[in-house]
Amino acid sequence: MTGMLVKNAYVIDPLSGVNGEIMDIAIRDGKIVEEVGSGAVVIDAGGCLTLPGGIDSHSHVCGTKVNFGRYMSPEDMRAGRTSRKGVMHVTSGYSVPTTFGNSYRYSSMGYTTVLEGAMAPLEARHTHEEFTATPHQDMLANTLFDGNWSIMEAVRDKDVKRAAAVVAWTLAAVKGFAIKLTNPGGTEAWGWGEDVHSIRDEVPRFGVTPAEIIETMIQANELLNLPHSVHIHCNNLGVPGNYQTTLDTIDLAPDLNKERQSLYLTHVQFHSYGGSTWKDICSKSEDVARAVNARPQVAIDMGQIMFGRTTTMTADGPMEFKLYMLHHNKWSNHDVELETGSGIIPVYYGRKSLVNCVMWAIGLELALLTKNPWQCMLATDNPNGAPFVKYPEIIALLMSRKLREYEMKVIDPRTEHFVPLFAIDRELDWYEIAVMTRAAQAKALGITRIGKGHLAPGAEADIAIYPLKPDELDPSVDYQQVMAGFAKTSYTIKRGRVVARDGEVIVEGANSTIWTRAEVPPEFDLNNDPEFVKKFEQYYTVRMRNYPVQEVYLPRGVSISTEASL
Amino acid sequence: MKVEDVVCPFCGCLCDDLVVEVENNLVINVENGCTLANEKFMGDHRLKNPIRREGGSWKDVSYDAAIRETAEILLDADRPLLYGWSGTHGEAQSVGVHLAELLGAVIDNTSTVCHGPSILAIQEVGHPGCTLGQVKNRADVIVYWGANPIDAHPRHMSRYTTYADGFFVKEAFRERKVIVIDVRKTESSAVADEFVKVDRGGDYAVLSALRAIVRGKGDLIPVKVGGVTRDQLFRVADICKNAKFGAIFFGLGLTMSPGKNKNIRNAIELTEELNRHTKFTISPMRGHWNVYGSNEVFTWISGYPYAVDFARGIAFYNPGETTSVDVLRRGECDACLVVASDPGAHFPRACAEHLARIPTVQIDPHVNATTCLARLQIPVAVTGIDAEGTAYRMDGVPIRTRKLYEGTYPSDLEILGKIYALVKEAKGS
Amino acid sequence: MRVILKTRPRAKPKIPIEAETIIPQNFLRKNDILVYEGNKERKLEDLFYVTTEGPAVSPDQVEVILTGNTGVIKRVGEYMNAGRIIVEGDIGMHCGNFMSAGEIIIRGNADSWLGREMRGGVIRCEGNAGHYCAAGYRGEKRGMRGGMVEVLGNAGDFAAEYLSGGEVHIHGNCADLPGVEMRGGTLTIGGDCLRPCGNMTGGTCRVFGTAHQMLPTFRRNGSEVTEYGGKQYRMAVYRGDVANRGKGTVLIRE
Repeated sequence: MTGMLVKNAYVIDPLSGVNGEIMDIAIRDGKIVEEVGSGAVVIDAGGCLTLPGGIDSHSHVCGTKVNFGRYMSPEDMRAGRTSRKGVMHVTSGYSVPTTFGNSYRYSSMGYTTVLEGAMAPLEARHTHEEFTATPHQDMLANTLFDGNWSIMEAVRDKDVKRAAAVVAWTLAAVKGFAIKLTNPGGTEAWGWGEDVHSIRDEVPRFGVTPAEIIETMIQANELLNLPHSVHIHCNNLGVPGNYQTTLDTIDLAPDLNKERQSLYLTHVQFHSYGGSTWKDICSKSEDVARAVNARPQVAIDMGQIMFGRTTTMTADGPMEFKLYMLHHNKWSNHDVELETGSGIIPVYYGRKSLVNCVMWAIGLELALLTKNPWQCMLATDNPNGAPFVKYPEIIALLMSRKLREYEMKVIDPRTEHFVPLFAIDRELDWYEIAVMTRAAQAKALGITRIGKGHLAPGAEADIAIYPLKPDELDPSVDYQQVMAGFAKTSYTIKRGRVVARDGEVIVEGANSTIWTRAEVPPEFDLNNDPEFVKKFEQYYTVRMRNYPVQEVYLPRGVSISTEASL
Repeated sequence: MKVEDVVCPFCGCLCDDLVVEVENNLVINVENGCTLANEKFMGDHRLKNPIRREGGSWKDVSYDAAIRETAEILLDADRPLLYGWSGTHGEAQSVGVHLAELLGAVIDNTSTVCHGPSILAIQEVGHPGCTLGQVKNRADVIVYWGANPIDAHPRHMSRYTTYADGFFVKEAFRERKVIVIDVRKTESSAVADEFVKVDRGGDYAVLSALRAIVRGKGDLIPVKVGGVTRDQLFRVADICKNAKFGAIFFGLGLTMSPGKNKNIRNAIELTEELNRHTKFTISPMRGHWNVYGSNEVFTWISGYPYAVDFARGIAFYNPGETTSVDVLRRGECDACLVVASDPGAHFPRACAEHLARIPTVQIDPHVNATTCLARLQIPVAVTGIDAEGTAYRMDGVPIRTRKLYEGTYPSDLEILGKIYALVKEAKGS
Repeated sequence: MRVILKTRPRAKPKIPIEAETIIPQNFLRKNDILVYEGNKERKLEDLFYVTTEGPAVSPDQVEVILTGNTGVIKRVGEYMNAGRIIVEGDIGMHCGNFMSAGEIIIRGNADSWLGREMRGGVIRCEGNAGHYCAAGYRGEKRGMRGGMVEVLGNAGDFAAEYLSGGEVHIHGNCADLPGVEMRGGTLTIGGDCLRPCGNMTGGTCRVFGTAHQMLPTFRRNGSEVTEYGGKQYRMAVYRGDVANRGKGTVLIRE
């Protein structure tokens, strides 16, 4: 390969300690190298902001419930449609775009790696098929264990090693990346139409509590040396007063890992409510941020909501049903045997709704009150809070107090009495934004080891060149330019190929799926374990032989191997 | 040679526990399968090679010639239709959608004459459902509405419902209550604990009445609704409200009765209402083993589950306008490619007449009713026997079908891939 | 300004013409008007003989007349907001969708989805209308919001589905489930119909013929007298749909 040279790049690479230096980046064979020869293709970044490719650590873009969201919402499909153009396929969808739609829109924003927020092991094949059809981002799957019968039995028996064995078997079988817990225990209770209401509630008929599940899984995660930590969607999402559940959950987190957090809490905005009813709901972001600030072993993402229409979709079946009872919109539900659940319902977040305004403020507060940007990542729980195409707007809000004040004038005027947002002066800078949109994610997910999230030689050549000149812009005032700049890169480079230019994708993609293979000693190999096999013989409706995801579904799979300490 | 855990490619049950015996590239025995499975695996009489209609007779042609002619027919057309898809693997369905996109064609699958109305209803009110194992392990009340599983999905009751023991239901046969609702007695109604006989076209009214009763407004229900007595209506509502976990399964009795998608919508809204009292789910009894797969594939690529029109360069969806039966009946379509289905056997006469009028090509291993309407037929491997690929069960669970032996026929994926390449080249893309 | 569009003979006359560009305001501009015939993009002149008479400075001064084989022309008047369209014959699907102002007159029959998601203006069909007349879009909660759709003949199934505002008047009969899911506005049916207003939550429907298979989940609430076509009629009043949280009103001639 002749190689490529990106010249005159204004680089911010937090993982390499670079903060605003003009430099050249040399690329060969898909990786960043020290230098390339004179025959290299030259791209002149013109002094523009150049960052490692964006990494989304929590987004719902591929799989059973996402596709449910698509085909049940033809009105959403027609609201976001685009025509065939060059190599770009037809796309449809505003809040739940088709796979190519997601891929092109992420590419336009410079994103090159995405972690799918939730994958039910039984239906993993579906997720992987859609991964391949999201061709411009490397994909990873959060694998759901919150209602897993084998796990709950291990928790009940206080057998952490067995839990670890179940995780290892499952991740390898379905090519998953990390442990995801969504409303742990609650999704199993929902199998009977029930839910859990605190981390100490017992899961009906299983005799374990969410707290026990969470603690066991954190231990199991570290025994397996998995790249990412346990990734949790806390119990009681959306319930006024739920901040206490969140604090209780944070309290469970031990500090077991030097490289990264031991517990990652996702879309924490939805879990930071004070008050006790919809009438007195208020922001408890200060309490939550204080807890996060005191614990380096915890990391969160915002779960920012933005005003407008969107679709909620999570594995948290009971929560989605609650939304149905509240709004009476069309509602879908899909419980997965022996494993988990899911629900989908469209929503509208309005500026005239005090509750929605409080929610909107909380997400921003979490980002502004968490002192260390490495501990609070930018996300909207796409599409639950807002479609990911709104990230540039969120960046602008975080960088500009003026823009927040402008928003204050157009939202419900009572909001400021329920939230501390408008008393917060802090404006995030370019470096902090770079951390919160890629560097922190790479660290939190444990994928710096495969060259993600940084631009030092040896890294994957995933690069985003934004039409922004940090030295010539004041983001606290020029927020329109900030928004426009982050929405559309001049160049998105993936594995050393220019995939997008000025918002248009110009080549066919060839992404990789990244998964984790935790090597366990033979005595922990569950393939012949009678209790485990019995699940397939008697309770699952798919045979054990047909359950695993075959290699053919990962044409360019990348496995991260770890050695378990069992 | 015996092969275990074989996936049956016939109905939406997608049973994956068959044990199949293969000898000399032929299936000679099937264990665990129903009569439909036996016929699918052992009654496999195929066309030897592509055939082309010339005058009043059929002539053999090469695969290459057939593929080239198919590409030409499609390229020539102003409004081509790509129909079928439910009987092949997802990877091939994927190529089909991209082919339609490239051609500016209409692409549609068998939902269009089957559970299309269910999809329309889901698009109006959502789908509170679950995987089949949830029903097997938990349900104590099963309702079959407008479906006759003993006939159409023979192992449904033994694998997933009436007779299937589960973790929380150790003696299914004793612990489960089965209600069958239909316009006439069937083999399924014969094994039900409660049979509700509805007047033809009366389902919508009965569903509305049940909803009102569950809502506590049963006082206004008259003595009889849709042929069902007030007593029985209240009894059925009671059984449902007192269930620990109820599961409704419905079939073409609802989707193809007057009201169509409104019938399904009403049933879904009844299910949603019941969820305020207890756990209840509803699921369509999908017919083909991979029709749900075609919905999934169409959706993640185009945004819509069937009846997708790419004529104007965007994906456009409007059942009643972009559905095959309508496009054919109106004589709009000027070329048709049929893959893995048999519209000649299932479509209204006017549509069959039109298929005979226009250049119709069929990709299918077997001679069927559509053969009589086509001018060209290309036989392929049978997915699940000598081709493999992804299928989606009626509840959305994806299972990979198996290849039992290395045969001599190309797969749908290969043939479609070649057609796609020719079309792409011709369009200069 | 009068624009007369007369269809030219075509090699494949059954292939529909997608003509959302045929709205009065587009004729003020000098640019080419493009339509689709199947998957081929065509200029208006390729498919129609176009005659323009007189000037106009704003779209409400433009009148478009369609004649010839008009029954397969779809989307005429889509998003129209001024002016007049007259169809001297039948018209294809989606005529007047999303219309917000202006007038459309159809001398013949209208195919399905006439006036779908209309916001304002007037549509008058002198023949019969197909299915989904004045309906909503699947997936949306609200359908037609304003304006007036009048059909002198009969309408097919699901007329005024999701109606949320405005007026729909079918002089003749309706087929199955007219006013299904309606939540506002007024639907008037001069003739007979089948199962009116299933799942209704609001609005008013008046039936002056016979309502067959009236649904059991409507509560009778006395009678009242109403005027229609210059005559007085005594109507049975029903409230419902009780299967839903229905607060709609259905008046059936006694």
